[in-house]
Amino acid sequence: MRPLTMRRVVWTCALLSGILFAVSVMALKLGAVPISVSDLVVSLGRLAIGRTDQLPLDYRLIVFDLRLPRIVLGALVGAALSVAGAGFQALLRNPLADPYVLGVSSGSALGAVLALQFLPQIALATPLGAFVGAIATITGVYYLGRRHGQLDSTTLLLAGIISASFLSAIIMFLMTTLTSRDVRGMAFWMMGDLSTPLAPSLRWFFLVALVVGIGAIYTTSPDLNLLVTGEREAMHLGVDVTRVKLVVYVAASGLTALAVSASGAIGYVGLLVPHVMRFLFGSDYRLLIPTSALGGAIALVLADTLARTIIAPSELPVGAMTAIAGAPLFIYLLRRSMR
Amino acid sequence: MPADSPAAPIEVTDELGRTIEVPQPVRRIVSLAPNLTETVYALDAGDRLVGDTNVDDFPAAAKTLPHVGAVLAPSLEKIVALHPDLVLATNDLNRRVTVEALARLGLAVYVTDPLSIEDVLNSTARIARLIGAGQRGDSAVAGMRARLDALAQRLAAAPPRRVLFVVWTDPLISVGKHTFLNDALVHAGAQSVVEIADGWPQISFEYVLKLQPEYLVFAGSLSEANAPPIEELSKLPGWRDLDAVRNGKIAIVSDAIDRPGPRMVDAVEELARLLHPEIFAPAAPAASKLIAPENHTEVCTACAR
Repeated sequence: MRPLTMRRVVWTCALLSGILFAVSVMALKLGAVPISVSDLVVSLGRLAIGRTDQLPLDYRLIVFDLRLPRIVLGALVGAALSVAGAGFQALLRNPLADPYVLGVSSGSALGAVLALQFLPQIALATPLGAFVGAIATITGVYYLGRRHGQLDSTTLLLAGIISASFLSAIIMFLMTTLTSRDVRGMAFWMMGDLSTPLAPSLRWFFLVALVVGIGAIYTTSPDLNLLVTGEREAMHLGVDVTRVKLVVYVAASGLTALAVSASGAIGYVGLLVPHVMRFLFGSDYRLLIPTSALGGAIALVLADTLARTIIAPSELPVGAMTAIAGAPLFIYLLRRSMR
Repeated sequence: MPADSPAAPIEVTDELGRTIEVPQPVRRIVSLAPNLTETVYALDAGDRLVGDTNVDDFPAAAKTLPHVGAVLAPSLEKIVALHPDLVLATNDLNRRVTVEALARLGLAVYVTDPLSIEDVLNSTARIARLIGAGQRGDSAVAGMRARLDALAQRLAAAPPRRVLFVVWTDPLISVGKHTFLNDALVHAGAQSVVEIADGWPQISFEYVLKLQPEYLVFAGSLSEANAPPIEELSKLPGWRDLDAVRNGKIAIVSDAIDRPGPRMVDAVEELARLLHPEIFAPAAPAASKLIAPENHTEVCTACAR
């Protein structure tokens, strides 16, 4: 493996940021309503000089009130899921780990179903219920996943998988017995869907929590490099294994909780993007965490643009898109790495 | 009432209890559900519809309107680009998040929530007033009410048929008590044997065998793909043990029976005729084939006297 230099980190991240920018501009242009490149450039220019009042109402609504927030949300959720996935893969030392492996998505779905049934009058029932459900699951799995007072990878994995299937069973039970018609939309949500914009009141909380979560995992990246070789080895090399595992567990779960609350359980991004980034840029976590964040953002913005346009004016849930594209890509990577 | 001069917007409460402000006059309407599209056409305001969903199929003109996508996942930007003064949605089909997102973009979204025939009549009258077609609405509602009253009189002496409404055969899904469809069954002189739940309950076959409904009711395209012909049903285990299947008592009614809109009365009358052939004189079905549907009811009311 080539030694990691600051220069390489900066250049790699600059490259990915450039791709993310290009993909976002493309996503701003594409949609059910055609908008020409020149109109988009003029609109962006007016936005840049702060003259949004001069924009035609249509563009303001479609480009800046609908597409832009959705692209930003997609990028943030993609980054959160990918970093969480990379974190769980290191924590559990399991390449199949994804953000939902420990039951966070099932817990948040249960929270959302319960909130929709019993507090339907609250506008933010879905995201708040989902977030509370996710946090409750994270706490529960944490206590189930400990052995001798500290997190044990195998116990944690088993506790998470069992919790996930238990919670899914309860969701199935509730969805066949509950009567609120809002619950019907849940199928869409469970598949993962970015069509619901984040409520403006939650935007800042979401952004700050996300930066804190990704930052927390990034600070542990030198330790993660050692942890993946084995816990005992890492401990001998001076890593505070208990603390690192706790930080990664809390931060990765928290990122997943945020992502799922905003957009449902979008699959494959958190599993696949870290693998693609490892494949492209190597497995040093100091580079893997920032590249996963940027790569996840790119992947989800691309997938959502397809989901919005492929059968326009209807929309697919973006989770269907990521699964359709993700599964074959995963197989491809697997075959390549076996050669 | 001046038709085209801008008037003050009117503030109304929709059927979910949301307060909305509707600009007046309403010149451009987007409908997010087939039954609401039908309602707008029935109010002679079809020329003001500027968009509907992929599945809107009645009347034929609804198929050629610009579509805004699927009922569950329409394109918000497409709706915005159509500049509607009013968006019509229904709690039964559309997602609440769609409604909230459109409202945040400053659009007036009126959401209906009909759980009975009476609710549909009221909601038709309310939509009519919102779009400045109050008189047309009142006469349409009065017409439907008169037909329902006439039907109720004819059925007054008949005991309700015990029916199982089949939404889906495998798994068996029927209709719960607190729904529009159940009320439509009641108006057609039927009583659902399913007493257990709201919504769309999944029913165990043992329960149906024990209850032995007199009739199975299927709805046209709603269950077309899975309403097997009777000879096929009579081969299937479970189904072949139902008295209704053995006696050939299967009623297939127009899918308008599940559309809380203007054609619901047609469908209710149709189902009543299928379930109560003894009341509707044997000559009536033959006559009905010769007579255009709109005249049909007059003939029937006449033969009742």
